[in-house]
Amino acid sequence: MDIVISTLTSPVILFFILGMLAAFARSDLAIPEAIAKGLSLYLMAAIGLKGGVAVSESGFTPELALAAAAGLALSFVIPYFAYVLLTGFGKLDRVNAGAVSAHYGSVSVVTFVTASEIFTGQSMGPAGYMVAVLALMETPAIISGLMLARCGEKRDDNGNGGGLMHEVLLNASVVLLMGSFFIGLIAGPTGFEPIAPLFLVPFTGVLCFFLLDMGLVAARRLVEAKAMTFRLTTLGILFPIVNGTIGTVLGTMIGLDVGSAAALGVLAASASYIAVPAAMRMALPEADPGLYLSMSLGVTFPFNIIFGIPLFAALAQAIG
Amino acid sequence: MVETVTRKRIEILVDKPLAGVPIRAAADVGIAGYSLVPVQSGSGRHGNWRNDRISGAENKVLFLTIASEDKADALVDALAPKLDSHSLLLTVSDVQVVRGERF
Repeated sequence: MDIVISTLTSPVILFFILGMLAAFARSDLAIPEAIAKGLSLYLMAAIGLKGGVAVSESGFTPELALAAAAGLALSFVIPYFAYVLLTGFGKLDRVNAGAVSAHYGSVSVVTFVTASEIFTGQSMGPAGYMVAVLALMETPAIISGLMLARCGEKRDDNGNGGGLMHEVLLNASVVLLMGSFFIGLIAGPTGFEPIAPLFLVPFTGVLCFFLLDMGLVAARRLVEAKAMTFRLTTLGILFPIVNGTIGTVLGTMIGLDVGSAAALGVLAASASYIAVPAAMRMALPEADPGLYLSMSLGVTFPFNIIFGIPLFAALAQAIG
Repeated sequence: MVETVTRKRIEILVDKPLAGVPIRAAADVGIAGYSLVPVQSGSGRHGNWRNDRISGAENKVLFLTIASEDKADALVDALAPKLDSHSLLLTVSDVQVVRGERF
């Protein structure tokens, strides 16, 4: 219970809630686009660097390989589970269900960064290699989602095959996260020391500011979501609870520490709203972007930030 | 007085991730020159839209080109089957251009 209260009263989460409330109240509060973009680049570089440095200290352990395998498996499999509920309970057609399911198999970098910060504050910071697991989980779900959407249909990528692979494998978040991870891995603690003041000290403050913006964006998306139904909103909350529980339990079963198991739960619970939407727009132009963006960004993202992170931390502590 | 000739101006409002569709279709019918113009927001059959700066999935651009009537017709024919599935808004209008041999 302590972690639930401490999470909900941390400045990081409170800034996110402030952003949401401001958007719901139709305030004109806004973070300039260039600043928001800069903040997100800083956060991804920082989290990648810290992960790389941590792995350079710990070395490549069996836990790293197991966590990577578990992450890949979750990313591949979750869309299939989601697809069944989206077509059944959610009443979506095959193409829209495939597109939405890909988002739930993939991950949200911001949710992971926020969870890492919260867990570290609770002395249960996830292992550095979880950054690599995060990057690995970005893409398999896209393949699963496309297979589901195109099930039994002649493949037509609209001539976008090259662009799709480029978007999937070389999108900004993957390049910066993995690039920073390897820089941290090569530099190690000694090489990281001179740049640590930039990437460690302001990190939490920058995250607060960034989450203020994300609160505004998520709430405005929710307010403007015309395609959302009660059933889809329900699934947008059910998916993270079920997926996150599976991820946390799986992480514990393969022997991850409490923080890493909870982080795997957060990754499984999160839904992409950066890399996958652009990829789906290219690969499945007939799918409604208003649906998948509203579910992942408007419903699941805020649920995870406010409730999911403490929930999976508490679960990992209880069973770990 | 500079002589002008009539050519077709083709404008296609398209989601940015799908901008490659009209670009490739234009190249296939022999239209090499085009411009992509960013657009900020608007309103249509499905309600209001604005640039989505988080994912970019819903950002729109205006594909703009000028071509001869034959090439314009060929481009419209090529894109007609994709107007609904790709949410393309295509308009064709007459314009007067100088140096007509370039289009």
